[in-house]
Amino acid sequence: MTKVKICGLKEEQHVKAAKRADAIGFVFAPSKRQVTIEQAAELAKHIPADTDKIGVFVNASLKEIEDTIAGVPLTMVQLHGDEPDELVQAIQVPVIQAFSIRTKEDVGKLKKSQADYILVDAPGTEYRGGSGNVFDWSLLDGADIDPSRLIVAGGLNPGNVHAAIGQTAPYMVDVSSGVETDGRKDTAKIQEFIKQVKDDSMEQTIEKTGFFGKYGGQFVPETLMKAVKELEDAYEAVKEDPEFHKEYHHYLSEYVGREQPLTFAKRMTEALGGPKIYLKREDLNHTGAHKVNNAIGQALLAMRMGKRKIVAETGAGQHGVATATICALFDLECVIFMGEEDIKRQQLNVFRMKLLGARVESVTKGSATLKDAVNEALRYWVSNVEDTHYLIGSALGPHPFPTMVRDFQSVIGEETKRQILDKEGRLPDAILACVGGGSNAIGMFYPFIKDKDVQLIGVEAAGEGVDTDKHAATLTKGTEGVLHGALMKLLQDDAGQVQEAHSISAGLDYPGIGPEHAYLADIGRVEYRSITDEEALAAVISMSRLEGIIPALESAHAIAEAEKQAKTMTADQILVICVSGRGDKDMATYAEKLEGLS
Amino acid sequence: MNRLEQLKSTGNKAFVAYIMAGDGGLDRLKEQVQYLQTAGVTAIEIGIPFSDPVADGPTIEAAGNRALKQGVTLQKVLEELQSWTFQVEIPLLVMTYLNPVLKFGVERFATECGKAGVSGVIIPDLPFEHKQLVQPYVDKEGIKLIQLVTLTTTDARLNDILSEAEGFVYAVTVKGITGSRDEMSEEVKAFMRKVREKSPVPVYAGFGISKSSHVEMLRDDVDGFIVGSAIVEAFNDDRIQEIEPLIHAVTASHSI
Ligand SMILES: Cc1ncc(COP(=O)(O)O)c(C=O)c1O
Repeated sequence: MTKVKICGLKEEQHVKAAKRADAIGFVFAPSKRQVTIEQAAELAKHIPADTDKIGVFVNASLKEIEDTIAGVPLTMVQLHGDEPDELVQAIQVPVIQAFSIRTKEDVGKLKKSQADYILVDAPGTEYRGGSGNVFDWSLLDGADIDPSRLIVAGGLNPGNVHAAIGQTAPYMVDVSSGVETDGRKDTAKIQEFIKQVKDDSMEQTIEKTGFFGKYGGQFVPETLMKAVKELEDAYEAVKEDPEFHKEYHHYLSEYVGREQPLTFAKRMTEALGGPKIYLKREDLNHTGAHKVNNAIGQALLAMRMGKRKIVAETGAGQHGVATATICALFDLECVIFMGEEDIKRQQLNVFRMKLLGARVESVTKGSATLKDAVNEALRYWVSNVEDTHYLIGSALGPHPFPTMVRDFQSVIGEETKRQILDKEGRLPDAILACVGGGSNAIGMFYPFIKDKDVQLIGVEAAGEGVDTDKHAATLTKGTEGVLHGALMKLLQDDAGQVQEAHSISAGLDYPGIGPEHAYLADIGRVEYRSITDEEALAAVISMSRLEGIIPALESAHAIAEAEKQAKTMTADQILVICVSGRGDKDMATYAEKLEGLS
Repeated sequence: MNRLEQLKSTGNKAFVAYIMAGDGGLDRLKEQVQYLQTAGVTAIEIGIPFSDPVADGPTIEAAGNRALKQGVTLQKVLEELQSWTFQVEIPLLVMTYLNPVLKFGVERFATECGKAGVSGVIIPDLPFEHKQLVQPYVDKEGIKLIQLVTLTTTDARLNDILSEAEGFVYAVTVKGITGSRDEMSEEVKAFMRKVREKSPVPVYAGFGISKSSHVEMLRDDVDGFIVGSAIVEAFNDDRIQEIEPLIHAVTASHSI
C-alpha cells in the first residue's frame, strides 16, 4: 500500500484537503513554498496525529534541524542538499535523503545512503528540493533498491501517479507542483491525487478516519475494528437518508417534547445588569437532560444495523436513564455500566434505570466513576460485539462516535439559532455550555462554529480548584493522550497513567474531553474555563430563586461562568446558556450540601 | 538479525509467555525472565501496566494494578531491562497500551527498546490504520511491530494486515478480552488455518490459552501459543512450576 506525501503546503485549507494523506511536507529551505517554524506549527494543528509531518531542508545545520523538529513538531526529516552521512545519522527522527536522478550512475549513489528512506527526484532546475520535472522511472529498473525504502517524486500528478506506482512499487509517492495551479496548491487536485493512490488499492477498507485536527482516530483493539467500521458505514448511510431524519425528529417531537424553548431569563438579566440572557431549556426534555437526543439517534441506528442489544456507560445516570428509557420504548435489551461511586451519588437514577427494565452493573475498579464505566462498557462490547451496539453517552470514543454524537446533539444549537434569530433578529454575542465529555456543548456550539462573531465558551469542572489534585479541568490542565479510542486531552501523570478526575457533579467527572473540543481549543475557536464545586452550588441557588429553574449540577457550571461573563458584557449584548439538564437527580446532593439553606 | 526472524526456522511450536512487569515488584522481573528462559519458553512478552487496559480481562488488569501500586512505569521497566547483565537468549517483546508510549515519546520508546535488546512491540490499541504513529521509529531500531488479527477481522482487512506483518502475527482466539477460557470453538480452528495460509510470518494463537487441551486442539493450525493470564496467575500464587507441563506440551517436538 503506497503512502502519499503532499509537499510544500502553506495554507490551512490545503492541509485540511490533504487529510487522507499519510504525510505532509513543510519546506524550510529557500523556495517559494518556504514556511517558518511558527507557520508550520500553526498548520500542524490541523494534521491528524498519525500523519507524518516531514520537514524539508537543504544543507541546514543539525541545530536548525533539531530546533525545527522540536518546534513544529516534525516526525521525519527530508534532506535535499549535500548533507554528510554524519548529519544523517545524528538526526533522531527517521530521515529521508533525496537524490536527483539523471543517469544510471546517479542511481548508484543513492544505494550508499545511510538514511532510512531514499527519495528519487527529477533534477532541479531552479531551486533545489524538486523541480517538478518528470523523472524517467525506467532508470530504477534493475537498480536493486529496497522498495520499502523508496520514495518517488518529481513530476507526479493525479494523471501519472498510477503508472509511477505500477513501475516502482515504492513506499511512498511525493507530490508538490503536480497538485498546484498557477504556482499555488489546489484543493481539488490534492484530493484527486490522494484518491488516485488510495481508492484503487485495497486500502479502501482500511483507512484512518475521524480526526479533528490531530485528535480523534480509532484507537481500539482489533476485535472492535469491524464493529467500529460497520458503524461508520451505517452512520454514513443514514446521514443522507431523509427517512432516518424524519424518524429521528418524529421521536424528538412526539416523545422527547422538542423543540425546547429558548427562555428569556428576565430576572437573571436584571440581577446581573449586563447582557440579555437566554436559557436553552434542555432540562425540559423527557428524562431531564440533553442525553436523550443522542440516545434516540443511536438506538434508531442500532436497529437499522439489526442490533437489538445495547450497552452503555453512565456517570450522573442521565445517559443511563435516557438509554434505558429508549430501550424500553423500542424493546431493546439494555445493560448499563455505572461506577460504584456514582451509584451512591445518584441512587434515584439507578432506581429509574432498573424500573425501566435495564440491568445496571456496578463498576468497582479504578476510581469507580465514569472513566471506569466506559472501560467496562468497552470490554463488554469487545466480548459481545456481533449483536450489541455500544451507545456511548458523550462526544467521546473512537470515530464515528464523536461525530455522530455531535450530529445527534446539534439539534440543540440548530433550534437555538432559529429561535434567537426569531426573537432578536440576530445571533448571540456569547454562548456557554458545560463540558464533561462534551456532548451538550458540541451540540450547542457546532451550528455556530462558522459564525466567528459568536463567542463560544465551554465550562469545565474545577472541582476543589484547578491547582489542587481534585478537579476535572481537562482542557485547562490536561495533556495529549489516548483514552477510550481517541487521541484527546487527558488528565494523566508523567508515566501516561490516566488520573482520577474529581467533580461534585458526576456528569463532569471524566479525565478526558471529546477530540473535537481538544481541536477547537487548539485553534482558539472555543474558550474553555472552569468553575469550582462551590461556585456551581451557588449558581444552583441563584438560578432556582431567580428563574424558578432548578438546574442539574453540570449545567450549574455553565450558569456560574455566565454570571462572570455577564459582568464583562453590556446591555445591548445577548448571552445564551445551555441548561443541559434539570436538578431532580441532584436533589440528595443539594439537600446535603445546602443544608440549613435559608 | 532480529531474534524473531529465527523463530520459524526452528520447526517446533513456539511458546510465548506473557508476564506483567513489576507484579510483585520490579526486582522480580529478572528472576521471572530467567526462570521462563530456563523452563524453555520461546519468547517473553513483557507487559507494561496501564490504568485503563480495555483489552485485558480481570487477571491481567489486577496484575497491572498491583504493578502500578508499586510505582512501575514504562521508563523503569526499560531501565531494568537495560541493566541486565545475564544472557537473554530468547526474544523479548514489550506489550504496552499506546498512551504510556505517547507520553514517553514514541521515538524515545523505540530507541530505549533498542538499547534494551527488545525484538518486538505489541500495542493492542494501535490498529493497523494508525500504525504509522509508531512504525517508522521501530523500523529505525530494527524492532518489529507485531499486528493482531481476530475472529472479527474481515477478509479484506486480514489481507492488508498480513501483507505488512512482521515478526509474527498475534491471532486472537476469542471475541473478547484476555483471560482463561474453558473451550475453543471449531470456528477458532478454521480461523487459524485461514490466517496461517495467508501469513508470511509465523502465526501465534493468544488470549485464553491456559490448558493442554487448548494446545492440542489448535496445534496443527498455528505456529505457536501465547499464554498470559495463566502465567500471571501462577507467578502471583507462587506456583509457576505448575505451568511447566503446558510449556512442554507446546514446545515438545511432535512426531505423529
Ligand atoms: C445534565 C448534564 N449536563 C451535562 C453533562 C455532561 O456531559 P456532556 O459534556 O457530554 O454534555 C451530563 C452528563 O451526565 C449531564 O447529565
